Amino acid sequence: MEAGNPLLDDYVLSLAGPARPRVCFLPTASGDADHYVVRFYRQFASRCDASHVSLFRRDREGVEGDFAAHLLSQDVIYVGGGNLVSLLGTWRAHGLHAVLRRAWRQGVVLCGPSAGSLCWFAEALTAFHSAPYRVQGLGLLPYSNCVHYDAEPARRAEYRRFVGDGMRPGFAADDGAALHFRGKELARVVSSRPRSRAYRVEPIGDEVVETPLDVEYLGARVPELASA
Amino acid sequence: MEPDNPALDDFVLMLTGAREPRILFLPTASGDPTAQINAFRARFGGRACVAEQLSLFHLDGSTRTLEEVVREQDVIYAGGGSLRNLLAIWRAHALERLLIEAWERGTVLAGISAGAMCWFEGGVTKSSGPPEPIAGLGLLPGSLSVHADGEPERLPVWLDAVARGKLPGGWAADDGVGLLFRGRRFERAVSSRPGAAALRVDAVEGELVRQRIEPELLGAAPLGLPPPGDDILELRAVQRARQSRG
Repeated sequence: MEAGNPLLDDYVLSLAGPARPRVCFLPTASGDADHYVVRFYRQFASRCDASHVSLFRRDREGVEGDFAAHLLSQDVIYVGGGNLVSLLGTWRAHGLHAVLRRAWRQGVVLCGPSAGSLCWFAEALTAFHSAPYRVQGLGLLPYSNCVHYDAEPARRAEYRRFVGDGMRPGFAADDGAALHFRGKELARVVSSRPRSRAYRVEPIGDEVVETPLDVEYLGARVPELASA
Repeated sequence: MEPDNPALDDFVLMLTGAREPRILFLPTASGDPTAQINAFRARFGGRACVAEQLSLFHLDGSTRTLEEVVREQDVIYAGGGSLRNLLAIWRAHALERLLIEAWERGTVLAGISAGAMCWFEGGVTKSSGPPEPIAGLGLLPGSLSVHADGEPERLPVWLDAVARGKLPGGWAADDGVGLLFRGRRFERAVSSRPGAAALRVDAVEGELVRQRIEPELLGAAPLGLPPPGDDILELRAVQRARQSRG
């Protein structure tokens, strides 16, 4: 849901199979922020069977009743960004960990930006009210993950330091870059912005090595203008 | 934070004894919604206090740790919403421990709805839809059920849970009623609305023993007037709706 740039959303829908896929939004990491839910429907409702599950207003809005069955019947589960720790705490309280793991095993496409990316990994670097720290995610992907790699320079240094100090090796992504895993294997890296990069980050010997990954830009290639 | 009635909020500020108490709002139970934060700022922003909110969802550029923020406060004020989410999120951020330490230092802990029940051993939540018993932080002995008059479907669930021993005995409070504890001891009930009351209920040998608690009416609300009837309440609701449509 990048503003004015549907490339990554289009890519996710292309993975789903049906022409009109069922897409469920989980805005938990934002505290089910109204404006985010509205943005989701604006972006997806015209071409998908779109729904959302609210874990803050279960008595009032979103999917009623058995949200587990609802999530398991989706083609895509789209997890919104926000705070990773609050996301995981809320999910645990409603039994979402097990439901999402089942959905993944069934082949539902799981995706999301920011906290919605970090959550799928075994470990993640998050920053909130203090210096960045390590958080255990759902662990569907047995790696670590760091997002906003280009946007927040401090994170880059911290992530490399953490991986050097024993955090498991993993993947870092700039804003606009998306890591596409099939099962536990990285299949492709795609991007909505021509210059977004992604990296494999791992300790080799005494060093933390950042290996750039091949990133496929999803937009039309525009010949670069000669700089004046 | 009742609309148009600051009596309970002023009561909370008065409890600190500080001339300009520091009050921290935790809107966690509703996911830190802007509307709740705005209501808090509108109520406390112009009062003799230093008001701030702590978001566990949105980055606000603060570089202070949670511990530093909590330690500075005279009052911690928890907002309403989902009690299950509130407790899970506080636990995930290790905020629960900081709040307990604050309470032990003498910080006033206050709250509405889920933000009131959380301090007790248990309460009745609608976090998953229908009302059901849930354990709280357990700083205060017994259980609390809120909205006894405003959400009538809660009370029977609470009474049943107390009768069956799923929840310890405790208090049910009408909207507008505040229960004041010093340490773990219940001291008194206060109210911002004439006619509102609290109920103490215990299970004694399988039987529910009920005792009505008459709260002390706070503030400027005129004494002795009967509570507004349903027709007046309906008229006010219509007026409010018209005003909000501008």
